[in-house]
Amino acid sequence: MTTFLTYTILGLVLGSVYFIAASGLVLTYNTSGIFNFAHGAQAMFGTFLYWHFTERWGWPVWLALLLVVGVAGPAMGAALHTAIMRGLRGTADVTKIIVTVAVLLGTVYLAQWVWSPDEAHTVDMFFGAGAKVTVAGVVIRYHELVCLVAAVAIAAGLRVLFTRSRAGVVMRGSVDDPDLLRLNGHDPERAAMLSWALGSTLAVLAGVLIVPISGGGLDANMLTLLVIDAFAAAMFGRLRSIPRTLVGAMVLGLAANYVLAYLPSAGTFTGNLRVSLPMILLFVVLVVLPQDRLRGAAIRTRERYRVPTVRAAAVWGAVLVAVVYLYSLLLSDGGVSTFALGMTFAIIALSLTVLTGYAGELNLAPLAFGAVATVVAFHTGVEGTGLASYMSVRGLLLGVAVAALVGGLVALPALRLRGLYLALATMAFGEFLSNMVLRDTTEHELFGFTFTLFPDGSLVVPPPKAGPLDLRDGTTFLMTATVLFALIAVGLAALRGGGYGRRLAAMKDSPAATAMLGQNLVRLKLSVFMISAAIAGLGGVLMSAAHGTVAQESFSFVGSLSLLMLVVVAGIGYISGALVGGLLAGVGASVLVATFGDLALESEGMGNIYDALGHLVLVGTALLGMGVGRNPSGFVHDVIEGYRAMRGARPLLYGAGAFGAGLYLLALTGVIGTWTFALVALCVIMLLPVLGRMYLDEGRRDRPTPLELAGVDEPYTEELRARLDRELGLPALGKGGAGA
Amino acid sequence: MSELVPQPRTADDPAGAAPAETVPLLELAGVRAGYGAIEVLHGVDLALRPGSLLALLGPNGGGKSTTMRVCAGLHPVSGGELRFAGRKVNGISAQDAARLGVCSIPEGRGIFPNLTVRENLWAATGTGARLEDLEEKAYARFPVLGERRRQLAGSLSGGEQQMLALSRALGTDPAVLLLDELSMGLAPMIVTRMYETVTELVAGGLSVLVAEQFARAVLPIADTAALMLHGRVVAAGPPGEIEDRLSSDYLGG
Repeated sequence: MTTFLTYTILGLVLGSVYFIAASGLVLTYNTSGIFNFAHGAQAMFGTFLYWHFTERWGWPVWLALLLVVGVAGPAMGAALHTAIMRGLRGTADVTKIIVTVAVLLGTVYLAQWVWSPDEAHTVDMFFGAGAKVTVAGVVIRYHELVCLVAAVAIAAGLRVLFTRSRAGVVMRGSVDDPDLLRLNGHDPERAAMLSWALGSTLAVLAGVLIVPISGGGLDANMLTLLVIDAFAAAMFGRLRSIPRTLVGAMVLGLAANYVLAYLPSAGTFTGNLRVSLPMILLFVVLVVLPQDRLRGAAIRTRERYRVPTVRAAAVWGAVLVAVVYLYSLLLSDGGVSTFALGMTFAIIALSLTVLTGYAGELNLAPLAFGAVATVVAFHTGVEGTGLASYMSVRGLLLGVAVAALVGGLVALPALRLRGLYLALATMAFGEFLSNMVLRDTTEHELFGFTFTLFPDGSLVVPPPKAGPLDLRDGTTFLMTATVLFALIAVGLAALRGGGYGRRLAAMKDSPAATAMLGQNLVRLKLSVFMISAAIAGLGGVLMSAAHGTVAQESFSFVGSLSLLMLVVVAGIGYISGALVGGLLAGVGASVLVATFGDLALESEGMGNIYDALGHLVLVGTALLGMGVGRNPSGFVHDVIEGYRAMRGARPLLYGAGAFGAGLYLLALTGVIGTWTFALVALCVIMLLPVLGRMYLDEGRRDRPTPLELAGVDEPYTEELRARLDRELGLPALGKGGAGA
Repeated sequence: MSELVPQPRTADDPAGAAPAETVPLLELAGVRAGYGAIEVLHGVDLALRPGSLLALLGPNGGGKSTTMRVCAGLHPVSGGELRFAGRKVNGISAQDAARLGVCSIPEGRGIFPNLTVRENLWAATGTGARLEDLEEKAYARFPVLGERRRQLAGSLSGGEQQMLALSRALGTDPAVLLLDELSMGLAPMIVTRMYETVTELVAGGLSVLVAEQFARAVLPIADTAALMLHGRVVAAGPPGEIEDRLSSDYLGG
């Protein structure tokens, strides 16, 4: 009985902290319509600040708490809203999600930069771990009492705020119709900023409270994900109701502790189950949620994409293959295999183009489907042993097929719901997979087979081989991956141009209208999700083969998110966006970080600077993601538009082509280094549209004179004086004045 | 903004100074506005005299709603002038316009569906009115709202929703009322009742600008009417004159 009571109390305490985190999430979602994936990262950052104040600087707890919860939390929220979130009105769901994901990644990178993950950071309980009371044989620490009281106070406080104060009523109104709020004389941006400040404060408070409960160790990644568990609690209240969120949080906290108390502790199963329990519950809640009503109006967003023709796609595919081949001649063996890895990422990125770019649905865990395909291919397709082992085509195809099937199974329950919920379902699946399957190193017996899903925590994936085509050679691998990318790209262009693609586009723009035209939305969504999962599976197996050895970290949630983010930054509606985003995710950041790391090791004096630059690259990628809000179509779109405008500047284009060819010859003959060539070529590609615009703009007229310069270099007329009077709001001297 | 532009309150002393009679409360002079590269208002001229009802008529796509949005400060002006009581207020924000006494009820029910009736009235106090006054006036005029004060506004019938929207104009004592398509989706009887309320408000000194597609609903109570076609005001004058032009312009223009 005491055991039961103890675990119940612990469960309620954990539930309280989940509730505090989830309530902040519900608050911001309800006032700004943005589901804040960075909520956990904000909690993490605040907790690190708290650690810094109390442990590093030795300030008293009350002062640190006051500064962190009372000042840093609200300031962080208000700053986020002012700098980033207010620019997100009228963008698609995916843009909103990606921007908060970018904030998440940026905050995590920043925290790892400031507080090195190699050091141990621990946060103590309030009043120390020894301060406790004993009630009916159950020991309760003061810290746990604080958690419970805080949760109850916040639940009551939010209820009062939302129903008994005008500020709360205005906050709720700002989701419905910000314009109407303006007509009522309120400033919706102020209401939204207030809610972001409050939400951020709640996140920080949850972080400070949860770390001592879950062991005291402070780790940026782990804490961020810990608060993501609160998503499940928020989903109980359908992201709207605070009381139901409270219930959900308590259920979550209790379930997690009962699992720990009453399930056998042998093997890794129970531990893994406890970790993935919130995600499993999130999935269950999504299944049980009633169907969303189809919204009548078309969804108007700021993103615009041009549809490629199959012929253009084929031509560009051939150009891509040729360019990659020519470039691979310049690279060392190591460079070729890194490039090949990047190309496999680009294939995974194509799965996002078809799903998000064409159909408007979301998958937050593309790498998880790659992991499924890899595990299947590993168990069915590896033939031969040792160095002679290879991956058979049968294994590859089987892996792809299972990935598609699993994709369908994951998506099926969430298909009835809006995009955000499907995104959350894929996220839950990704987390579940990485916790339950990729950590599953024990042997199982099922139907007479004995097998281990993920032996020794890592898989050695040999390169694929099909007849005479052996991918052991780096260049062959790279060219095969490139050709595959080009083929899939042409296929997608054909798909988008055909009837199926038009149906997808229709569904993206107005689900209601599509349904009324007699289309089966569920079948459309399911099929596109399966196609996407299959492509991700293929890319995933190739990626594993390019890595050689893969572990749980190769398919991490953060990896999936940064891939998705970079693809959106590059332009998720474009195949070229997938190419650029995939290469950036697979090669760009890792190569740059590794280069700076090497440089830091080599030169001691400059070590700090190079180290900082390496971190800056990571934070910089996240900053790129935050910029998506300003330019939701992606930067590839801008570059393409720039070139489109340059059709009139032929001499410039020919000149640039000749310059590029000359540069390549120089690089091939070893006069300039590969890096120099790549950087100069990139600069030319980026700068050419700017030069073109200058070239085309020559001879255009300037703008009309601004008010303060009127009459300076032109005669001062009666008309001009009247204009000045009008602009300054002086009463007109005409008819009105004469009448008075 | 509020120092620059005096609070125009005309309801209290209709027999005020002479200039107040001649200077329109709300005036558009050559106003141009558009969405992106597409211009939809090509120089609109309108003047709303104090204490009168101006009906803005015209077929679909004529630019009526954009004109209303410009007047309310929701849509930026790209050319010409928007004047409140003779002062140029181009670029005014909607919340400033609301605080100056411009009450705008947008197309398709100006209410918050996820707030209760009482909370909707509470949100309407942003311009400085008191919730008690608002509730008293609204429930006195529309008793059905008083019965449903705790009900979500989204669950009211269309007519009740429009009553709630109109309550904002009743309680906040504005100088100018902008009504966009009051009749949209409502039964004719409800429309008649709505316009009766509007007439009483005008009699009390309020100046009203009504955009309406169905001329018959509003012409009988209008002091002046303006006909809008293809982003321009093509005719303005007494309602009788405009009524004669309507059929030819609607069908022929």
